[in-house]
Amino acid sequence: MKTLFAVLKRMMVNSPSPLPERAIYGFVLFLGSQFGFILYLVWAYVPEPWLHSLGLTYWPQKYWAVALPMYLLVALTISFVLLLGINMMSTAPLNSVDTVTDSYAKSQQAQESQKGAVPSLKDVSISEVNRIFFLSPRHLNHQVKSNLEEACK
Amino acid sequence: MTEEEFFDINGNTISLDCQSHSEFCKEFTVSVPKLSLRKVMNYTCAVWLTAYAVFFATDNTNVLSAAIIVTLVGMMLHLHFVKIDHESMLIIGSLGIQISASYASGRESTSFIEMSKVKDIVINEAIYMQRVIYYLCILLKEPSDPDGVSAVVPLFQSSKPRLNCLEEVYKSCQDILGQS
Repeated sequence: MKTLFAVLKRMMVNSPSPLPERAIYGFVLFLGSQFGFILYLVWAYVPEPWLHSLGLTYWPQKYWAVALPMYLLVALTISFVLLLGINMMSTAPLNSVDTVTDSYAKSQQAQESQKGAVPSLKDVSISEVNRIFFLSPRHLNHQVKSNLEEACK
Repeated sequence: MTEEEFFDINGNTISLDCQSHSEFCKEFTVSVPKLSLRKVMNYTCAVWLTAYAVFFATDNTNVLSAAIIVTLVGMMLHLHFVKIDHESMLIIGSLGIQISASYASGRESTSFIEMSKVKDIVINEAIYMQRVIYYLCILLKEPSDPDGVSAVVPLFQSSKPRLNCLEEVYKSCQDILGQS
């Protein structure tokens, strides 16, 4: 009971430091994975008659010893391509309003700023940004502006 | 009429032509270079050599005629629907903006936007394929909310000029929009 409370208290702090419980989990996982691997090798390489003579008759076909890793690798490769495709599909197209504003910026515009207080952090409208960048070169350092343009071209 | 050396986002040369018809009427035309003969020859040779290789392997003469038809039809469709010759924007203060794209086959597609619907013309940045590009766009007003943006109409979509070209167009447009 005392150790359980101590464990709970330590867990609530949420640090990645080693704990005896984590060591146990790690060792169990290690043993399990090693056992699983040896079992897989035995199943793949030991000939069927030998397995039958030991009494292990109802094991899956050896075809799957090659097929399953192959399926996994192909699925991994396709998932890379799929991820790229999903990213490209969810990028807003050039004619969407999402490139200019969104619901959070709209609700910000409705808020009034208090008199005399430091102005709150707000979204600057794109018309204003354009005016500052392209219509008034005096307000922005020329070198900074040209560096920005070179970087974004 | 003014012409300068500009580039599009891929580095190809384009040309911008600004015509100032009057104080509040300006027309900007971005011209893309015509389909180069070298490209056409390369593409045609590639397709026909592949078709000949297939014919050599299968001894089926239909492959050859199919390749010829595909090349011809494909080129016609490309010129009519895909290959842009020039894109232009005509802005008339307090009347509206006319956007027109003219294709290599001579087809023109035009659209007109009233000035009452236009909120502003801005240079926006967005993610396009695997990079961020600048593009000029018209922001349309929302009928219910005067500060809101209801739609974004990108301009010069097929020619995609770079920032220096867009800045020129932007400054001239802001002059006209500021007057009305």
